[in-house]
Amino acid sequence: MASRIFLPLFLICAVLFSAKPAHAQAIIEGHVQLPKSPATTVMNQRYSVITSEGVVSISPPLAVVYLEGTFPVPKPTTTAQVVQRDYTFVPAILPVQVGTRVEFPNEDKAYHNIFSYSPAKRFDLGRYRGDERPIPSEVFDQAGLVTLRCDIHDHMRAIILVLATPYFVLSDTAGDFRLTGLPPGHYTLKVWLSSKTTLERPVDLQPGSTQRVDFP
Amino acid sequence: MSVEGKSNLSFRTKLFVTMMLVVSGITILTLYFAENRAADSFERELKGEFQNSLAAMHQAQLIWHTAIMERCRILVRNPRIHAALEDNALDLLYPSAREELQEIVMVRESGVGGGDQQSLRAKFYRFLDREGRVITPPAEINAGTLTLREESLLALPHIPATPQLGYLPLDKATNDDIFEIIALPIISTETGEVVAGLVLGFAPMDLGSPEPGAIKSGIQIAQQLHLPALSARGRDALNQTLVTTHIDHTQTNGLRVEIDGVSCLVFQQLLNRDSLYPPAHEVCLYQIDRLVQRQHELRWRIIGGGILALGLALLVSGFLAARLSRPVEKLVHDSAENLELRQQAEAALATTNRELHRSIRFSADASHQLKTPVAVLRAGLEELLAKRHLTPEQCDELDSLVHQTYRLSSVIEDLLLLSRMEAGRLKIEFAPVNLSHLLDGWLDDFGALPDPLSLTVTTEIPPKVYIAGEKRYITLILQNLLENARKYNRAGGRIQVVVIPEGDRVRLTIGNTGRAIPVSAQEHIFERFHRGIVGEDIPGHGLGLNLAQELTRLHDGDLRLVRSENDWTEFEIQFRSATEEHAT
Repeated sequence: MASRIFLPLFLICAVLFSAKPAHAQAIIEGHVQLPKSPATTVMNQRYSVITSEGVVSISPPLAVVYLEGTFPVPKPTTTAQVVQRDYTFVPAILPVQVGTRVEFPNEDKAYHNIFSYSPAKRFDLGRYRGDERPIPSEVFDQAGLVTLRCDIHDHMRAIILVLATPYFVLSDTAGDFRLTGLPPGHYTLKVWLSSKTTLERPVDLQPGSTQRVDFP
Repeated sequence: MSVEGKSNLSFRTKLFVTMMLVVSGITILTLYFAENRAADSFERELKGEFQNSLAAMHQAQLIWHTAIMERCRILVRNPRIHAALEDNALDLLYPSAREELQEIVMVRESGVGGGDQQSLRAKFYRFLDREGRVITPPAEINAGTLTLREESLLALPHIPATPQLGYLPLDKATNDDIFEIIALPIISTETGEVVAGLVLGFAPMDLGSPEPGAIKSGIQIAQQLHLPALSARGRDALNQTLVTTHIDHTQTNGLRVEIDGVSCLVFQQLLNRDSLYPPAHEVCLYQIDRLVQRQHELRWRIIGGGILALGLALLVSGFLAARLSRPVEKLVHDSAENLELRQQAEAALATTNRELHRSIRFSADASHQLKTPVAVLRAGLEELLAKRHLTPEQCDELDSLVHQTYRLSSVIEDLLLLSRMEAGRLKIEFAPVNLSHLLDGWLDDFGALPDPLSLTVTTEIPPKVYIAGEKRYITLILQNLLENARKYNRAGGRIQVVVIPEGDRVRLTIGNTGRAIPVSAQEHIFERFHRGIVGEDIPGHGLGLNLAQELTRLHDGDLRLVRSENDWTEFEIQFRSATEEHAT
């Protein structure tokens, strides 16, 4: 599952940074101490969205690491996908840049009805089957946390974390991450752990350097 | 007799009264128990009836609640509601819910309540947030109009894990109803934690039908009673009673009260036990005046029946008392009679005894008194007779006078003897007496006496015939009879003396010729001082036969006249025979 996230992400990053000279870009790598996950079984490395006491988080925990600051932000050109397969959303968490179009293909035989009430994006795709064309999609043009739900299947949840930066990455299950192609300068490195918790660390990026930032 | 009568009456009366008391006592006891049983069964019946109605009502309510709960349970699993609650989109909560709730909510534009009371649909609804506070619906959503105060009453200290039942009295301005509210938790499907609550308000099921005698039900909450079927005054009065009386909530017996002049049974029952909402009691009124009337009727009927039974018992016991007391009366009567007779007899006996003693004393005194002057007379006469210078005529005269004194003496002796015999003071010393010897002696004497009538004597006397008795008395008897045989004879007549021993008796017959005793006099010859026509001119004093008979009887024998007719008179004496031992 993680690999499936990584690959498109990496591609996006590669495309985004291809115009820049490679030697001028910085790299941050580090480790995030992930919170202890509640005793939920992970079947086939499946991740699920947990809303507990109003706090949305991923189980088992993952972190989204991103760089925030004033730098030129290119428009997103690729579309992302959140697939409905086996009555779940794949991926459970999708960080995207503001302005990205996300498609929601239905790979199940049953109907699904994707909607979201999150203030960052409220939409309702209506009921549709997998073979209907065009595949319903939405453009997420506001930064924030969007909780995806299915009107028919209450247990189906996913998160789209809409970020104002193109520089973001999902940590692995251990909490390790590696952000590449970063512009040099003085910026803030943020780590999204849950809707309540976002860690941050100011970083000073030197061209061609590799920094190590660990959270905590 | 009157005393008898009174004791009679009192016995009968006593018996009657006792029977009546017993019967009355039993009847009253039976009636009392019967009435108690009737009253008990009546109350039980009433209670049973009431419990049945209540149970039916509650059953219906239970089914209704279950239906609602089921609907609500489905409702709160709605993803849009969850989304609205969890994804920071409370403004979308009511709009999302409206569609979902359409099935179970029917809210009229005009407000809450009114109209279709029979509908099972909620008349208003409100969401509660995680802390139990009411989420006020946006203005464009019609979730049922409630005042702020009413709305605040829907809030709970926390969202409960199970559905909670409560009662909401609406402000009187809008509506006097009490709404039933059910608060349900909205549980997250992923974490299972309570995220919010939903409160639905329902108009209470109208079960009280207007027919009289049915149950009127209402709800008492926060010391306010809501019973639309009662007048305002009655309601206030009942409310007051309920507040002050503190009916035990688990009480199954009702409280009897007078409301608006009608006697009713009031039952109170806690409706929402263990609910987070304030407690509400269901108050049910059961009009019992009709039933009380029936009870009264029944009681009067029982009493009437009892009185009838008592009357009957009165008659029967009266009759029985009379019948039973009759033999007792008779007994009393007889014994009283017997007592009287006995008393009379005793009195007579006492009198007789007194008189007897008097007569004895008299006889004894009289005899003594008589004997003495006679003796003196005789002595005087004999003295005179002994004087020399008397003429032969004077001597004859004196002689006959002396003879008379002897006669007088003998009469006195006889009387004395008789009186002693009558007093029972004459005791015979029984000894064997030679009858043959005595008779022979007399016959000898008879031969020596002058015989003017020239009588012949024939005898048949076996020798050595012994009889039991005293010699001197037997001599008297024989002398008496033989003298009579001689005296009452005719010239040339005959005297016959026959002795016949017969086992333990000896029969002696003395017969003589002469004028027979007339038949009319034959009965009286043994009476004292009887002389009869025959003996007018024959000397004697009339004691003879009487004396002889009495003496014979004392000897265990008898003297009787065999016959007296045709110139023959025959007497028979019977003696007891004896053996020769100390013969005299």
